[in-house]
Amino acid sequence: MPLHADQQRIDPVTANVIQGALENIAIEMGYKLMRMSYSSIIRESEDFGAALVDAEGHGLAESAQSTPLQSGPIPGYIRGIRKIMAERGEVVCPGDVIMHNDAYSGASHGPDVAFIVPVFVDGELVAYSANTAHHLDIGALSPGSCGIVDALDAYAEGLQFKAIKVYDQGRKVEPVWTILRDNIRASDLVVGDMEAQIAAARIGADRLLELIGRHGVGTFKAACAEIMDIAERLMRHAITQVPDGVYRAETAIDGFADDPDPARRNLPIVATITVAGSDLIVDLAGTAPQVPDRPINMPLDGTVDVAVWLTVRSILLDTAVHGHIPVNAGLLRPITLRAPKGCLANPVFPAPTIARFCPGNQVADTVMKALALAVPDQVAAGIGQLKVIAFSGLTGESHWVHMEIFEGSYGGRAGMDGMDAVDTLYANTRNNPIEDIETHLPLTVDRYELREDVVGAGKWRGGFGSVRAFTFVQDGGASVEGEGHVFRPWGFAGGAPGQPARLDHVTGADGTRALPSKVPYFAIKAGETFLATGPAGGGYGDPFERSPDAVLDDVLDDLITPETARRDFGVVITDGAIDHAATTALRAAR
Amino acid sequence: MKLVGVDVGGTFTDVVYTDTEARTTRIHKVPTTPADPSVGVVDGIHGLCDRFGISAGEIDHVFHGTTIATNAVLEYKGATTGMVTTAGYRDIVHIGRHQRPQHYSIRQEIPWQDRPLVRRRHRKTVRERLSPVKGDVRVPLDEAAVREAARGLKAAGVDSIAVCFLFSYIDPSHEERAKAIILEEFPECFVTTSAAVSPQFREFERFTTAAMSAFIGPKVSRYVGALERMLAARGLKADLHIMSSNGGVATAPVVAERPVLTLLSGPAAGVLGGAWTGALSQRRQLITFDVGGTSADIGIVDDGRFAEATARDTWIGGYPVMVPMIDIHTIGAGGGSIAHVDGGGAFKVGPHSAGARPGPAAYGHGGDRPTVTDANVVLGRLDKDRFLGGAMALDEAAAHRVVGALADTLGLSPRETAAGILTIINANMANAIRSRTVQKGIDPRRFALVAFGGAGPLHGCEVAAMLGIPEVLVPAYPGITSAVGLLTTDIKYDAIRTAFQLSTGYDLGLINQGFDAMRAEITAQFTATGIATEAIRFARAADVRYVGQGYELRIGVPDGGLDDAALAAVFARFHAAHKAEYGHSFEASVIELVNLRLTGTGAMPKIGEPAGPPAGTLEAARVRSGPCVFRGPSGLTDVDTVFYDRDRLPVDTPFAGPAIILQTDSTTVVPPGCTVTADRAGNLLIQIGG
Repeated sequence: MPLHADQQRIDPVTANVIQGALENIAIEMGYKLMRMSYSSIIRESEDFGAALVDAEGHGLAESAQSTPLQSGPIPGYIRGIRKIMAERGEVVCPGDVIMHNDAYSGASHGPDVAFIVPVFVDGELVAYSANTAHHLDIGALSPGSCGIVDALDAYAEGLQFKAIKVYDQGRKVEPVWTILRDNIRASDLVVGDMEAQIAAARIGADRLLELIGRHGVGTFKAACAEIMDIAERLMRHAITQVPDGVYRAETAIDGFADDPDPARRNLPIVATITVAGSDLIVDLAGTAPQVPDRPINMPLDGTVDVAVWLTVRSILLDTAVHGHIPVNAGLLRPITLRAPKGCLANPVFPAPTIARFCPGNQVADTVMKALALAVPDQVAAGIGQLKVIAFSGLTGESHWVHMEIFEGSYGGRAGMDGMDAVDTLYANTRNNPIEDIETHLPLTVDRYELREDVVGAGKWRGGFGSVRAFTFVQDGGASVEGEGHVFRPWGFAGGAPGQPARLDHVTGADGTRALPSKVPYFAIKAGETFLATGPAGGGYGDPFERSPDAVLDDVLDDLITPETARRDFGVVITDGAIDHAATTALRAAR
Repeated sequence: MKLVGVDVGGTFTDVVYTDTEARTTRIHKVPTTPADPSVGVVDGIHGLCDRFGISAGEIDHVFHGTTIATNAVLEYKGATTGMVTTAGYRDIVHIGRHQRPQHYSIRQEIPWQDRPLVRRRHRKTVRERLSPVKGDVRVPLDEAAVREAARGLKAAGVDSIAVCFLFSYIDPSHEERAKAIILEEFPECFVTTSAAVSPQFREFERFTTAAMSAFIGPKVSRYVGALERMLAARGLKADLHIMSSNGGVATAPVVAERPVLTLLSGPAAGVLGGAWTGALSQRRQLITFDVGGTSADIGIVDDGRFAEATARDTWIGGYPVMVPMIDIHTIGAGGGSIAHVDGGGAFKVGPHSAGARPGPAAYGHGGDRPTVTDANVVLGRLDKDRFLGGAMALDEAAAHRVVGALADTLGLSPRETAAGILTIINANMANAIRSRTVQKGIDPRRFALVAFGGAGPLHGCEVAAMLGIPEVLVPAYPGITSAVGLLTTDIKYDAIRTAFQLSTGYDLGLINQGFDAMRAEITAQFTATGIATEAIRFARAADVRYVGQGYELRIGVPDGGLDDAALAAVFARFHAAHKAEYGHSFEASVIELVNLRLTGTGAMPKIGEPAGPPAGTLEAARVRSGPCVFRGPSGLTDVDTVFYDRDRLPVDTPFAGPAIILQTDSTTVVPPGCTVTADRAGNLLIQIGG
């Protein structure tokens, strides 16, 4: 239901003009944050978000550059601080800047810290300008802010900020900043990034004030209500195109594949989607129980919700098909999310959550697998999972920390092969240039190529994974947070499943050790290498129906061997050419 | 001097001739010949000479803006291209930054994967490797492998090869040696190295730029060669200069070797033409606003100089390109932009366009969807009998029909719908300008808007009003501003070096050597084109950031040997620029000089001030009057509006809007409350009021 049905009607022209202006402001905020920030995780990986939110916590617009897992949760952060501050009897005032990262109050996880600037017009709080960014370190038990896979509880994950004013009516709250500097590694970078966030959020607030000044508060509110209603109608219209029904899918995550405790490994993720008219319900019942003392639990608000709605909208309102669609809270209204309390997707405090990145992406993949049953032409087969490695070391008394996100791959699609070696679903970050890494860090990147001859066969094959090798130039350490070493990305409609990822720790000529997808911090000597081998996405459709020309192309491109062409695709290639007679015979004989 | 500028557009090839001594300017238009645009270029020049009795042999210089490179990329029709790259890194151009172009899409394409500039089978790897920071050789170049790769690529039938090695921006000798070996084996091949195209760090972007250079190279060099021959065959002895994306021109041999220089050739000339227009009326703070049928190009001219895009913000056809380019922002908004209601009931205009065919419904070519042009017709702002100088009669009934159908869907009156279409498209254009000004710390209220292209003068005043821009300029011939811009350029070459020097510890010798080496490089380029060293003007700059940041700001660097004081001044300017652009500076942070840049400019003769327009009177200029719809304090109202013939307007005589000013290649709308003056320079100056 429209939330502002009692307010004045707005004409569609003004609604469009205000919508465009809101988006422009969010984009400016993201642009400035990305350019001002110091850490590569923000400015290269683009692991940040920027958004404008109304006074009740409904998202109005988001920055186009930011990654969905950062911009999507921002309205939840706002709702979180409103609740906490109400409980504490605290009041938001003009000139405040509020810091927040509580995963049990809307935050995506601890390292994604939000800075929030309230926007007042004539003493009335009308909106918030906010941004989030993934910080290099947040004072957890080991360096970096990913790969903290041995955190026992929320307290072990680093500092918890529950609606903390870092500026109070314009005055800097110095003790808070002192605590930050004293408890965070590489604090110059981290605090610099936080200052950049505040500068960007304030710019967003100033621009929003100018916009409201141009139109008046009444028109502004009416326009916000209207653009959310438009977005809701758009999503409802899209859902009505999906056949009514109940669609269930199950996948699984590695969890801690080397853990003796069976409750920590091979954990099911289940999504049951009910489509009825213009409503869509996603129920995650059947998903494994939470792991009380390992941080792969997923905040329901801030991670699971984003994973679900991102997947639904990427399939039903695919921008490659529908063009640009403004993102606001209205898009979410027709989607209901349910997850039983105490499961991986709705944990109970203080269960740790810092390493929720990959499980959340598996929820997204599972939702796609369920929707595949309803709208098979609009999905990709199973995606290959990602991993993050936090590299670190000491130079004198100060830390260096570098986090690198390793790419997955997409499954095949109707009429299209899968995307090769990219971030998947709710993650869309960027790698760091080799020429930047080697210039600024004691690391070398010794290889970066596609992973050959490992493919999810299909009429439309899955995307290829990558191979990337990092070597330490000095002694240091690292921790690993990933998924997808055990289970193969699902094939669809007769397509073969893809292949899992792997990670090897190479200590010398013979000393190669396969690692599980999650490894807590351990020391690494100069000259030792991580060899990360990415997953291959699942195949779509019967591989024996794949065009022989397309198979030949993959052979000529050294992506697959003639043996694989014959075995997996039933195409006989001799001396770089298709043997059509032999191919027909082989395919017929299956 | 006798100069000719030729700009090839989608529909017409515009030719402008000027005699700088006689102060005469002549204009000629011929249809563009898409299959081989050089045919239209030669026909256009020939036609102009015939029509005005000009002897082709007397023309001194021909300046040409071409979309041949851009179209090769956009249409994905280039050479079969090979690559020789460092072993272990075969797929840098395929993996890219591992980011998908669209966040919310399963069925998207990735340009560099779906339309590779070099297919994987044509990417050969050879053992070699340099290390930063000094370029130490970690692995020597395997020359035998290069030779074998060259033979393999030749046998595979490639036409061109890009040599792309890691860290070649520090030391290009491996790439250059590899190029030499390839040319020994395959002398007819077009070979380029990544360091020669753009010696800057960030391997995906640099390799892609080199691959694009190789992809378009043979086509561009064939085109330029053929054009030179055809012009010579028609008796021209003139030098041919090609417009570059950096806002200068380059000689034909330079373009043949570095074809990526021309990727933004067309729109760059528009910004120059806009800047020239403003300068005629002593305006040096300008926003150029070039609106055609499908898109609007926006450029910023600050103190007479145009802004350059940062290397990380430059894309063509979805591929990143690291070459110096004028900062031009293009959005899908023009006269043909289609208005529609989306599945959620939102009223939208663009980005899809009806194009030239079928075009707006009012064109009468079967267009059945409401466009911006149709909205202008419904509001009475376009004269049905005098559109394009009367060359095309507008079908008013068709415009009313399609706008009316949309109005029914929206539940608005047709007039409100038409006015809404304009408000929305104008707001989109204003947002685009805002993103280039306000978002970068530039206050648009200090600027004048130069409105040109067929549709720019229709929208300029209302867009300016939305942004608080006080003045709009409309050039004498809005439709040929790009061609005129070609006659205002200089020869301009850029050099760049990645330096990575910190404010807390830098090597002055290395920085000074870097600038000296670039100066020698640029001087050699000019000398090769017959321009004397003393005729070159140099401008230095550096790309600077706080250490740790990933984006740089361009900061001017003084001439001469640099000392500590000079660098300290550069760092101080960086703090100030950072504060201006982002609203914040970090005074305590260490600063990093990332790239050194040098631009050499060699002056070319230019078009002079036009002779003043003939003096007319308002009475003589008056064509008719009729109702036009404008929004006033009480909503939309019919306002009796006079239509004037621009050629007969009095000079330096302000008159008040509302007014519609007609001319062959455009229509200018002067809303109520605005005041317009035709000045001696031939421009319309409109003061935004109301």
